[in-house]
Amino acid sequence: MRKSSLTRGHFKAGIDAVRGAKLRSFWTMFGVIIGVVSVITIIGIGQGVSRQVTGQIHHLGNDLITVRPAQLHPGGDHGNGSVSLLSDSSGLSGTLRTHDITTVAGVKGVAASAPLTIVTGKVTGDQGNYDQGFVIGTGTDLDSLLNQSVAYGSFLTSDDEGSNAAVLGPHAAEALFNEDVPLGRSFNFHGQRFIVRGIFNNFTTTPLTQETDFNNAIFIPNEVAQDLANNAAPTYEILAKPSNPKQVNQVADSIQRALDRSHGGQSNLSVSRGNQNVVASQDILSLLTKLVAGVAAISLLVGGVGIMNVMLVSVSERTHEIGIRKAVGATNRQILSQFMVEAATLSVIGGTIGVVLALAIDGLMRAFTDIRPAISWQTVVLAFGVSLVVGVIFGTIPALKAARRDPIEALRSE
Amino acid sequence: MPLIEVQDVSKLYGFGDASTLALDEVSLKIEKGECVAVMGPSGCGKSTLMNIIGLLDRPTHGSYKFDSKPVGRLRPNQAAKIRRDSIGFIFQSFNFLPRLTTLENVALPLVYKGVSVSRRIKLASEMLERVGVQNREYFLPGQLSGGQAQCAAIARALVNNPKLIIADEPTGNLDSASSLLVMELLADIHKSGNTVIFVTHNPELTRYATRVLYMHDGQIVHDEKTALGRVATTARKVLYTLPAAVNEDDVLAGVSAIMKAIPSKLTTPRPKRKKTKAKPIKRTAAKKRRQS
Repeated sequence: MRKSSLTRGHFKAGIDAVRGAKLRSFWTMFGVIIGVVSVITIIGIGQGVSRQVTGQIHHLGNDLITVRPAQLHPGGDHGNGSVSLLSDSSGLSGTLRTHDITTVAGVKGVAASAPLTIVTGKVTGDQGNYDQGFVIGTGTDLDSLLNQSVAYGSFLTSDDEGSNAAVLGPHAAEALFNEDVPLGRSFNFHGQRFIVRGIFNNFTTTPLTQETDFNNAIFIPNEVAQDLANNAAPTYEILAKPSNPKQVNQVADSIQRALDRSHGGQSNLSVSRGNQNVVASQDILSLLTKLVAGVAAISLLVGGVGIMNVMLVSVSERTHEIGIRKAVGATNRQILSQFMVEAATLSVIGGTIGVVLALAIDGLMRAFTDIRPAISWQTVVLAFGVSLVVGVIFGTIPALKAARRDPIEALRSE
Repeated sequence: MPLIEVQDVSKLYGFGDASTLALDEVSLKIEKGECVAVMGPSGCGKSTLMNIIGLLDRPTHGSYKFDSKPVGRLRPNQAAKIRRDSIGFIFQSFNFLPRLTTLENVALPLVYKGVSVSRRIKLASEMLERVGVQNREYFLPGQLSGGQAQCAAIARALVNNPKLIIADEPTGNLDSASSLLVMELLADIHKSGNTVIFVTHNPELTRYATRVLYMHDGQIVHDEKTALGRVATTARKVLYTLPAAVNEDDVLAGVSAIMKAIPSKLTTPRPKRKKTKAKPIKRTAAKKRRQS
């Protein structure tokens, strides 16, 4: 009887001890956890949004040069995508012609160029007519100009020029053949048979207008496109890239001059640089960067203050304990190092839990929302480091103050 | 060679008008092996003297030699080392760390001495066995009875094998049976050669002392050698003279009667204390009650 009650006593005492210390430790760590989680998550969301916006703006690159007719009118009822052109039948100005393509390609300093020519007409595949997209005649450099990779097969090569090869946007491939990788399959266009050579990865941006979606497009060699349309297909855009990205302005000017010359000095074509297009976006981006930095600073501050408060409270609660320890012979340094080790341990454990929790929240956000938080290792190190430093400093300074107090005074406080 | 040599020690608290003279040029010598009981009313400076002797506090004036070394002006860390190595404390309210087990609490002074964990546990366990609460090793202090807790506190005071044990009202929170147990333990420790100083309000407990000091308003007013096992004569006098000051009216008046008795005992002017201010108010209140 006595033995059993004793055993139960031991057991209960052990549980109580763990529970008692655990609760305070947990609350102390809780401050650190909240601090770390909020800092990582907020900075992650900020950087993620910033990266998403930047990615959309910079995907095409800063050095992309576009040549367009001056009057490009979006909208219309031609049924080919949602871009239509107000064709200038005179063909002298306002419309890009085949020789403009060669002119642009021939300008000194141009590394790559490709036209974008829309060909109207019915596309017929295994699944019947395909009318959601459009057919674009283009050159072999388009993939590198758009920074767009091919998922399966390959893009048009110089061997394909003049032959009936096609590269499909992923949605077009799906709609035409009802499969992801229809390499080698064929479809009919203007009575001719085209073989699928490659499938693009998903396009995130398009170099045209907001309404066109290259995911629905079918790309064929420009010569073939012009043949099909009896050289009447409108080329609405020529893309070019300089060999040296830093000379984008000079090359753009050269292109403008060369076009003006070939059009008898009165071309109605506009040459614009990629970074001209994103000048406004650059302002937005720098604002966004400042916003993220500001939010990060505030969240660090808030997290730090939270940790500080928890540490201050937890230490000042223990003044009596410090008094007892001093009475039995602990020196100030021994008390200080004890509290420092405790604060560091709690901060490290809390910080680790916080990082894990923040990564879990990141995963949840990726799974259930459109937000793509970008958690860099710098963010993690920053949050962890700040919480550790703040935790140790504010876990130790009040302990130091308490340790320097009269032991009797500390003993008296309860 | 006395273990404790206190010379003209004064302790002042506060500044200016609010200052309080807790110790008034106290001189005292305690030899090795003595068991000294300190008696006196609340606020007479007993605890302050204990704190100074125990190096928890420093005197404002005067010199203090512990074990022939001057320690009155030690830096806090040096004082902490002497506390750790040579002095054991027993408090009225036990002063355990509530989240550590009894065993860990008893082993606490060894932590700061740098003793290894296994040896700490062994020494603390032995000490708990000596005071008779070994079967409560893994209990938290809050789960011990008052007597057991004070025994464990004695174990903690003894674990570093100190030269001096200071007990500030060790039986203040205990019933008479537990008090007896604790005092027998202290007597045991004294018999085995330790020097013990304890503060008490209970004249009966002077049986365990070889010497009794009476303090009043920061001074030692009487110093008496006494035989072990006998209640000190002055202590007995204190016990029997106090009720004589109370007449029938005073019994009706209750506490205020004792308050009334105090000013008559103050023959020489002393630095003013906060207590004296409170007296007239209470007396008039008592008078009113008597009239009604």
